Order: sequence, then structure tokens, then C-alpha cells
Amino acid sequence: MIQKKICLLGASSVGKTSLVKQFVEGIFSEKYLTTIGVKIDKKTITFENEQIQFMLWDMEGNDTYNVFQERYLRGAAAYIIVVDQTRTSSFHEGLDIHTLARQVSNCPAVLTVNKNDLPATWNIENNENKVYKDLFDLHFSTSAKTGENVEAMFLALAKLLLKG
Amino acid sequence: MPSDAAKEAESAQQLEQVRTLLLGKDNSRITDSLRKDARKIVAEVITEALHDRQQKDNSVDKVLQPFVEDSVQTSVAHNREQMVTSLYPIVGSLVRKSVAAFLSDFMEKTNQLIENSFTIKGLTWRFKARQTGVSYAQYAASQTFVYRVEHVFLIHRETGLLLNTVPLGSENKSDADIVSAMLTAINDFVGDSFLTSDDQLKEQLQSVSTENFNLLIKPGPSALVVAAVTGNPPQSISDQLQLTVENIHSLYLEDLNNFNGDNQQFGKTDGLLRDCLLSEQKEALTSKQKTPWFAWAIVLLILLYSGYKGVNWLKTSQLHDKIMQLDSQPGVIIKQLEIDNLKAITLDVLRDPNAIELTDWLNSNALNAAHFTIIERKYYSLDIPILHQRIERVNNTYPGVNFTWQNNLLVLSGTLSLTKTEQLLNTLGLAGFTVGNNLNTAQLQLATSQPNADTQQVKQQLANEIIGRIAALQLNFPVAVETITPEMQLTLKRLYQYIQQLEPLAQTLNLNFGLLVLGSSDNTGNNSTNLTISLQRANNAADVLQQLGIDKTKMFVLGLGQIDINDITNSARTVMFNVILTNND
Repeated sequence: MIQKKICLLGASSVGKTSLVKQFVEGIFSEKYLTTIGVKIDKKTITFENEQIQFMLWDMEGNDTYNVFQERYLRGAAAYIIVVDQTRTSSFHEGLDIHTLARQVSNCPAVLTVNKNDLPATWNIENNENKVYKDLFDLHFSTSAKTGENVEAMFLALAKLLLKG
Repeated sequence: MPSDAAKEAESAQQLEQVRTLLLGKDNSRITDSLRKDARKIVAEVITEALHDRQQKDNSVDKVLQPFVEDSVQTSVAHNREQMVTSLYPIVGSLVRKSVAAFLSDFMEKTNQLIENSFTIKGLTWRFKARQTGVSYAQYAASQTFVYRVEHVFLIHRETGLLLNTVPLGSENKSDADIVSAMLTAINDFVGDSFLTSDDQLKEQLQSVSTENFNLLIKPGPSALVVAAVTGNPPQSISDQLQLTVENIHSLYLEDLNNFNGDNQQFGKTDGLLRDCLLSEQKEALTSKQKTPWFAWAIVLLILLYSGYKGVNWLKTSQLHDKIMQLDSQPGVIIKQLEIDNLKAITLDVLRDPNAIELTDWLNSNALNAAHFTIIERKYYSLDIPILHQRIERVNNTYPGVNFTWQNNLLVLSGTLSLTKTEQLLNTLGLAGFTVGNNLNTAQLQLATSQPNADTQQVKQQLANEIIGRIAALQLNFPVAVETITPEMQLTLKRLYQYIQQLEPLAQTLNLNFGLLVLGSSDNTGNNSTNLTISLQRANNAADVLQQLGIDKTKMFVLGLGQIDINDITNSARTVMFNVILTNND
């Protein structure tokens, strides 16, 4: 079976953990997130009769007190930057993390604008934001609460990684 | 100095030019010429080379193993017939070996199960395992083994993805991939956060230990081999892990460097990883320290008791068979035999007075009569040997008669007077002989009184004597019974014989005769019932006589009812006979 390491990055409280919670098989508790800064789950996806297993490295959210831990990005097949559509600041922090990540990895990057079940305070399609879209290989608008687009996002990522 | 350096550089350059001219670019002339004969050159040394390499580090068989497995798999899939033909001669022994191995394994497991489940040690372990919150199997392993490698992982160093895993048992840990990723994360965390060596190389976690569990990590440049060990792992495991990680790197370096997430080709590392599944069993110290005397004593007692019981049962059974032989003795029937023990035997038998005495039989069979409680009741046996004995005695009193046996049929021959004949038949009847059954009297001649009976007077006397005999016959019935018993049958037969003797006499004397059959009853019950029952008795007797051959017209049947004579009225349940003679004139 093909396995791929995927990292989930983003500011604090954007919903990284919630995003995968319903869709993964995990054995570790979330306390690992705060102890060593990462928790790992797995998700198996079938795409065109081929199975691909994502090892999802859910990394602790970055804020003023938590620096981006690049060591966990090593060997990743792709990373997903998660941002919150109710907080513009999360988008900017996400872009900062992307810049830092690009220094250590050239793997495909996905932008996921989460919490689309809540009213948006900013929009990626705005002229000022649109320019950043091209920095990412894929972008999705998801809701961890309703599950909207989450499967689709992982499926698209599987397609990208298998075809690429 | 600079000129020297320039000269050196120039000469090196010239040397390189000469080398290029001679050997070609990148040694191409040599490699080209070698390639032409490559097959021949390799063919010459390949066997020796394989042998040497195998001797050096045992790596050849590990490389060949996957190829062999693949070839066998292909052969099984495509040339099944050929495989079957090739394997056929060894299948029998394979199956036998496999069954033997299965049985031995099964016995061992059962033994272990009993040992672990029912012994005090097993129960203590269960309790302690519960107390410490680990599974019983884990606790038992920790107590049984000094150390045991439970699981071996091969992990890609860069991505932390699991390449292969080999568990000790057959169960496959489905979470091995998450565990290996997490282990990599922890390794990275430790390496980056705390320890940085002077040469800026990241430190590697070598082991993670708890009280009774160890993760031994042996890192290589591209992959890690990790062993999960219970107990205290010795240095030898670490050495084995090192050897394995080196072997894997030498064999799969290219695959490791080009790893894109597909771990299929690493399935072939099973053999190498399996080499790391080492264990060492604890010495059975307890067995040296104390022998379980108590348990052995109980086992011994049980064995002795069952042995004693077994011998006892055998002896009882033999004695039973021996005593039961008594049953085959003529004139003896064993009703019940109870052997409480060898000296308390209860024997309940029926015995004919002519049969062997029981104590005699016991003594002649070496049985102590004192051990027996004998309940003996008499019966009249018709066993052939007993009948023979009885005839022996009768034989002496009738010298004129021959007693011969024809297939259990007693044949009487000779001549005997009428009175003696009657006596003899009476005696034989009591001895169990009946005409038509086991007695034949056809050849027995009556001593004819013809010469003496020539005169009318003598004949008349004889007729009177017969009539007197007939009148002396009487059937006695029990209370309220009118049926004819076998004994009565005998009496009636005798009556019939008298009538037969009387008939020719009456003819010659020119007399007519008739037989009176008179039934009577006692005085219990009312008169009409008594009359009916007395008539019934007389009728029944007359019916039997008619069956024997006496013409019914010659009989007069009468029920007298109760006989009112003081002394006999309460017991006169009889049928009486009488003959009436009249002149024919």
C-alpha cells in the first residue's frame, strides 16, 4: 500500500484537529499535541481502485508562544495549511507558516479555509487575497462541523499525489 | 614554490591525458573489453563468490529467499501438475511431521494452560497482572522470559512511514504504522529539542525504557530498526539489530533512497527482521528449590487407591465368574449372587434334592464355604442328569423292565403286571416323566393275566378290581377352583387306562358299563353356586376324559352341590368316579 506523510499546519484554533477528527483512525490522545507538539492519525482513501494511506501529522497551532516546528515537516509528501474564515489574522499567520515551510520543503501545499458554516469576515477571492491563492497547489473551503468538503479535499490530495 | 605547484599540476594533467588515451574516457576501454567476456568471467567465479559471501555475512540466502519464494509461487500458480508430481513423494512424511508437530504443540499448550490456570503460581500471576493493569499474557511472558522481542519494526527515517513489521505471534498490529510515525516524531522531538552533539549531527534516541518494557532503536542513514522487548534485553539484541540494519541498508539502499511511500518491496525484509525476534527463557528455578511433595503424595495416594480398587475389582470379577459356574450344575439355579467383599458372599439358590450339595461343590472348587451365606430353597428339577439319577434309583426296584435313553426320551421295555405298571408310571410321573413328553411306554407289555383269566369268574374278579380302583380315584380341588391341574391330568389318564382295560373284560363278560362323574363342593357360599361349581368340576373332568378317548355317551356327569356330612362338608371339593355294570341281557 502507498503511504504518504501529510502535515496539518496553521494558527491556533483554526480547527486542524477538528478537521480530521471525524475521518481518521487514531490511537493517541490529544495531550500529545501539547507535550511534543504533534499527534499522528491515519486515514485510508481509495482512489481509482488504489489504496493510499495518509499518515496525518496534526501539528500544534502556532501563535506568539509556539514557534513553527519545522522538524516534523521532514519527509512530508504534502502539507495542508488550515485557516479560519472568521479570523483574517489566521490567514496571515497561515501565509507566514507557508513561507517558513517552503524553506524546508518543496512538497505540494494545500490551503484549507475552514469553518465555512460560520459567517466569513474575509474572502480569499478578494483582490488583495487572490494573489496568494497561486502559492498553493490546491485550495478548499471546508467545515469540520458539517464535514463539508473534507473528504473531497483528501481525495483531491490523493489524486494529486498519485498522478504527480 | 608556485612553479613547483604548476609543474605538479601539469604532470598530473599529463598523467590524466595518458590514462585517458590508454583506458579511454571513464575507463571505457577496460569496461568495454570486460563486458565482452563478462558472462564467462562471472560464470567462472559465481559459485565460489556466492559461497564466500554467504560464509562472510549470511547475506546471500536472504537475498535469494524472496526470489525462491516468488519462483515457487509462480510454479504453484502455473505449473501445478509438475509441482504436485515433484512434491508427491514427500507429502506423506510432510503430513505426518506436521501432524506430529501439531500434536506436540497442542500438548505443550494444554500443559501450559493447565499450569497457568490451575496452579497457585498461575492464579498469583493472574492476580498480579490485574493489579498492575497489564494483560495476563504480557505478565506471564515477563515472568517466563528473561527477555523476549515481541515486535520488530522497520521505519523509513525521513518520513517516519512504516516499511515492514514482524510480530512474534501471528496477530498483526494494525496500529504499527501510527506507532512508528509517533516514534519518529518523538525521536525528532528529542533529537531537536535537547541533544545536539558537537559536530552538529542530531542525536538519535537509542532506547525507550519502562520498568518491564523496552523499545530498542537502531538507526541507519535511511531507516531505523526498532524492537519492542519485554524484560531486560541483553547486548546480543542490540548487536543483532545493528547487523540487521546494516544488511537492510546494503541490500535495499536504493529502494530506501527512492522511497515514495510504496512499502511493497520491503515485504522481502521479513526474513532479516525475523532474525531479531530473540528470546531467552528463565531457568526453572522454582522446580529446583522445592519439589511439590504434597501434590506428589496426593497423586501417589490416588494411584494406590485406584490400583487397590482395580485389583479388588479384578478379583471380585474372577470370583463372580467362578461361582456362576455353579449355575451350570444340574439341578442348581443361582437366583442371586452378591459379593460385598471377598469374604462376605451371599448366594441365593434353588436346588433339587438330587443335585450336588453346595458345600461339596464349593470345597471341590477351592472356595471357602465359611465365606458364604447360603440361602437354599428346594425345587424339582427336570434337568436331564437329574432325571437320569432318579431313573437309576427306580431301575433297581423293577428288574423286569429295561430303562433305555433315546435322545432324552426314556423308553421302557419289558413285561410288567398291571399293578406294577401303575406303580411304575406313578413313580415315573412323580420323577418328572410323562408319556408323550419324555417317556415312551409303547414297548412295555402288560403281564397278561390271560391264562389266569380264562374263566368267567376270574374275569369278573378282575373287572371288579378295576371298578374298585376307579372308585378309589378322586380329584381334590382347592377352594372355589374348578380347573384341572396337571396332577389331576395324570389321575384322569390312569382312569382312562382302567377303562381301556375294563372295556374288553366287559365285552367278554357280556356286560354293559357306564362311568359316573360326580362333582361336589364344600359348604361355603350358597347352595346354587355350590351346585354350579360342583357341576363345572365334573364337566371339566369329563371333558379331559373325552379328549383322552372315552366316549361321552358312556359318561354320566352330575353336580352334587355341597355334601352335607358333618366331618367333610367344609372340604369336600372333589370329583369322584364310579362304574355301573349291567347285564347285556
